[in-house]
Amino acid sequence: MVNNNIVMIGVSTGGPIALKRLFSDLPPLNAAIVIILHIPPGMDYKIARSLAAVASMPVALAEDGEYLRNGRIYLAPGGLHLRLEGNSRIILEEGGKVNFVRPSADVAMKSLLKPLKKRRLIGIIMTGMGKDGADGIRHIKKIRGVTIAQDQETSAIFGMPKAAMDTGSVDFVFPLKKIGKKLVELLN
Amino acid sequence: MEAKVMLVDDEEMIRESVELFFQSKGIKILTASCCDDCLDHLETGFRGVILMDVMMPDINGWGTIRKIVENDLYEGNIIVMLTALNAPDNNMEGLQEYVSDYLTKPFNPDELMEILRYYFSLLNGSEPSNG
Repeated sequence: MVNNNIVMIGVSTGGPIALKRLFSDLPPLNAAIVIILHIPPGMDYKIARSLAAVASMPVALAEDGEYLRNGRIYLAPGGLHLRLEGNSRIILEEGGKVNFVRPSADVAMKSLLKPLKKRRLIGIIMTGMGKDGADGIRHIKKIRGVTIAQDQETSAIFGMPKAAMDTGSVDFVFPLKKIGKKLVELLN
Repeated sequence: MEAKVMLVDDEEMIRESVELFFQSKGIKILTASCCDDCLDHLETGFRGVILMDVMMPDINGWGTIRKIVENDLYEGNIIVMLTALNAPDNNMEGLQEYVSDYLTKPFNPDELMEILRYYFSLLNGSEPSNG
């Protein structure tokens, strides 16, 4: 079971509500969605529960060793880095903080491999403080993925989207609603 | 009724106006004028949504969050920063995961209520109690 379409989202401050807004408007997508949200342990399952209440796709905390399945949303647990092995198997590990955070979007995104033909890889950076995810977006662009950043107007904090844009590797800058529309266009 | 919202802000006028706003919505709120007041409320059992001003004398909002985390008082709370600044400064580094949201002053009351309701539902599956 290798190489679903994959959407990987890096998000931080302002993220819980932004994710709720994004997924409450989205139909089921032909992709596995992996969310790297900067949260401490203990908050993660609450966020997953709140997303599950509004999303049209099943939502769960990512588990170590689990294989990605199409049409599901995986939230990285707080306090652990998430990597994907072979674009399909979830690896959770402790390790030091990267960009002052754990999980780090850079760690997760840089673990992605170039997708097989006809498979989509989409990297998104949404609202958040700092610069986590910028290197990851550069990597996704390099392996021929599609990259999207949330715009300033709909971001609680524009730090992370701006840092991603500053790499020159962002294909689209969209308000939240348009991110959802673009995902449907690219995947369904 | 137990308060489920705490405002930490050094400006008395802001504390009073936010308190009045929440009272008009039937929501009880605790206020703190500085880091020590905030820690006192947490040590005496407050758990809920903390609305934290960034710019305060002595220990600012970021410093207060560091103290909350260092003193193991974070769990069971959600922190929303309130700021007049357009963008956070470097003092936030390492604190991202503890700051769930960020509202720029003057904030829209409807937006504040939407955020508050959402974070209450996250904390305990219910909305702030009235009365």
